[in-house]
Amino acid sequence: MADLAELKGMIEAALPGAEVEVVDEGGGDHLRASVTSEQFEGLSRIDQHRLVRAAVRERFEDGSIHALSIRTSTP
Amino acid sequence: MAADPQLKAKVEELIAENPVLLFMKGTPDAPRCGFSMRVVQVLQALDVQYGAIDVLPALQPLREVTSELSDWQTFPQLYVKGELVGGCDIVEEMLDSGELAELLGVEQPEVEVPEADRILPGGSQTSPPMQLG
Repeated sequence: MADLAELKGMIEAALPGAEVEVVDEGGGDHLRASVTSEQFEGLSRIDQHRLVRAAVRERFEDGSIHALSIRTSTP
Repeated sequence: MAADPQLKAKVEELIAENPVLLFMKGTPDAPRCGFSMRVVQVLQALDVQYGAIDVLPALQPLREVTSELSDWQTFPQLYVKGELVGGCDIVEEMLDSGELAELLGVEQPEVEVPEADRILPGGSQTSPPMQLG
């Protein structure tokens, strides 16, 4: 079971100043993260998503997240 | 674990040979995962030709390969011109914004019309095409 607050914190730590929202879309392991960060400026969507994924990679690897939908945007 | 070098070489070859290549769970006719199905629907909406690889028979080895090649572990994965574009979220977002049509060099489809409302081929000709000039 994923800890939504922890995930939000992990993303915020990786992308200082980002606006982050993590919600459970069902079952505790299908999550959606919406992230707005200045650091996305000039990056392709896939690179923006890579940054978010990298921030929470440990939780994928230990199985606490099965699926994470990501929405990224710049302020 | 490091990816199988032979499989990795094969995947690199497929990505190089297919300008539009989808790694998916199941096949375009019988997707085995909702996210894969949604990417298939996007590609159908854009009416592009694409290659499709069913990852299920070798899921873990392929994860290791794409992890090394593209720093991406989950499927579906859509590659265009040798580059990973993204999975379901990104592909749908880029369809909506028109970026995907542009990347693929096709026309942005009209707002989706339900199957039943589509004009059948050779059907109604009641409204003639607009004449220009």
